[in-house]
Amino acid sequence: MSLLKVEGLSTHFISRDIDNRMRVAKALSGVSFALDTGRVLGIIGETGAGKSLTAQSICGLLKPPARIVGGRVTFDGQDLTAMSPEALNRLRGAQIALVVQNPRTSLDPLSRVGDQLVRIHQAHGRHSQAASRKRALEMLAAVGIPDPEGRAKAWPHELSGGMAQRVLIAMALMNGPRLLIADEPTTGLDVTVQAQILDLMRDLVQRFGMAMMIITHDLGVVAHYCDEVAVMFAGTIVESGPVRTIFGAPGHPYTQALIAATPERKRIGGGGAQIGGEPPDLYNLPSGCPVRLRCAHATEVCATTPPERAMAPGHMVRCHHAGALRDRTRGSVA
Amino acid sequence: MNLGSFLLRRLLMAIPMVIGILFVTFMLVRIGSLDPVGLLAGPTATQAEFDMIRRNLGLDEPLWRQFTIYVGNVLQGDLGRSWLSNRAVLTDILERSVASLELLFWGVGLGALIGIPIGLKAAFRPNGTFDQVSRIGSLLGFSIPTYWLGLVMLFVFFYLLRWAPPGMGRMSLMISPPDFITGSYLIDGLLQAEWRAARSAFSHLVLPVICMAIISAAPIIKHTRAIALEVMTSDAVRYARACGLPRRTVRRMVMRNSATPVITFVGTELTGLVGTLSLIEYVFAWGGVGQYGLNAIVRGDFTAVQGYVLALALFSVIVFLVVDVVVHLIEPRAGRA
Repeated sequence: MSLLKVEGLSTHFISRDIDNRMRVAKALSGVSFALDTGRVLGIIGETGAGKSLTAQSICGLLKPPARIVGGRVTFDGQDLTAMSPEALNRLRGAQIALVVQNPRTSLDPLSRVGDQLVRIHQAHGRHSQAASRKRALEMLAAVGIPDPEGRAKAWPHELSGGMAQRVLIAMALMNGPRLLIADEPTTGLDVTVQAQILDLMRDLVQRFGMAMMIITHDLGVVAHYCDEVAVMFAGTIVESGPVRTIFGAPGHPYTQALIAATPERKRIGGGGAQIGGEPPDLYNLPSGCPVRLRCAHATEVCATTPPERAMAPGHMVRCHHAGALRDRTRGSVA
Repeated sequence: MNLGSFLLRRLLMAIPMVIGILFVTFMLVRIGSLDPVGLLAGPTATQAEFDMIRRNLGLDEPLWRQFTIYVGNVLQGDLGRSWLSNRAVLTDILERSVASLELLFWGVGLGALIGIPIGLKAAFRPNGTFDQVSRIGSLLGFSIPTYWLGLVMLFVFFYLLRWAPPGMGRMSLMISPPDFITGSYLIDGLLQAEWRAARSAFSHLVLPVICMAIISAAPIIKHTRAIALEVMTSDAVRYARACGLPRRTVRRMVMRNSATPVITFVGTELTGLVGTLSLIEYVFAWGGVGQYGLNAIVRGDFTAVQGYVLALALFSVIVFLVVDVVVHLIEPRAGRA
């Protein structure tokens, strides 16, 4: 059984406009994926595709007007969508830990680093102060912070971005989580620091036997650090499967275009395609395949719901034309 | 930066500020339509008398000379004489300042004591019932005219109900005030165990202090709510929630992080409400600096007006200095600036 299983998760923003008419933004429509312990899943997509919202829906961090309207999130056999806010709160930061972007502003500016680590430990279990302190120093050391004793006494504003991100990871590790969700963990960090942080997280997944979900819009991150990838577009996963398979033979025209548009591909002369068009309006999604307005291969059949087509074991593509497209030149869409 | 060098730097920064204030108070009266010579000389004076008074006051000197004389006198503690009381303005102001400070600090203190918790509670559930009620309450506090509130309170609690003493000063005339220690009748009375004096001082304080508290609590509620709401949407608080910290811990964090801007705001309230203070002092015949200043303006007592404005400005400088020190002490990031 998978550690985390998301089935048909739908999250909508339900609000009323000035004339009191109901307005529904279908931010997530039927997201499904599964994640096993020891694996790293990359969720990739453009801005507004619903990557972060997927993470927030899983953790129960949605704020009105966002609401889960359908689907199930099963974590370790329990349905998170049916859980009380209090029970979810106990799970968050303990079993499921979040690493966010903007690490420097995410730390409490008025508490020392060590105190914040202790606080999160105490919030999720009965530990003596001394035990929490010891654990905090261990975790600071585990994330590769030199002089943990000294750093524990530091204020958040005294940390560099990379150091702050390591502290955030240490906070995530405090209660021995089984699932780590990293929402664009390296956005805003130097490239060299990015690599260090991702290497560290990858390594920690193995060492502590966790599963990890990395939300990113960087294909390079997915290629280097993930085992599996889910490509999101307009609130649905259009393609998912093992990284090797998908990068080797992307099935969905959108994935193909995404890979073709990377700077690396441009340089070697293999395409250099841009993905044209705007993301679709979530208040007024096109019928059928969400990508079809931007897809060169769209036909009439695309106006109906695209099928979930298994291309290989574990490799799912939501496209009518996936099989036919596969053998053509990649990256010529849109 | 340690506290000592911080304090020194802030004090040095206050020097040009004080010089600017002196210049403004000096010019304020010069460019006003006050004619001190005419006021002093009276309607029947001859031209020779006019000239003599002008010379005596130093008004025949060029403006820059007048300013240097003024600054020199102020630095020696000479703010001139008030022609209304025929006493040194500095003595007048110093004698009355404790009465004003007492009213101001109790009033704004009570206002903060009421306003800050209400603002926080309103922010914790935005648009909830409590928030709506507190919003109406603070709107009322904003829109009630100060003098009207004072008069109505006197009418109800003194004239109708006889719960409060009449609005005539800080203490009953039948009781001799306690010996001078701090100048506050209430505190001095308590310190010297003169219970009758302390009780009388307290009962005279109640209405004007409540009046002041109501007027000052309204903006404090509004600002505390806005500050706390902003803190609640900050990355740090959102992340704390994402870490599953219990609600109590998160709330404490919101309060701690709101402290600096709230304290700064209450500081500005202290200085911003001196106008309100004058009106309340007037209504309750408090005999403080505010009433003195108001009188001086109405009667054209220009040395007293000058002294009053200078005193207010220096008071602001001191309050902001104290606020800065407090913020410096509670804010770990402050050392960087």
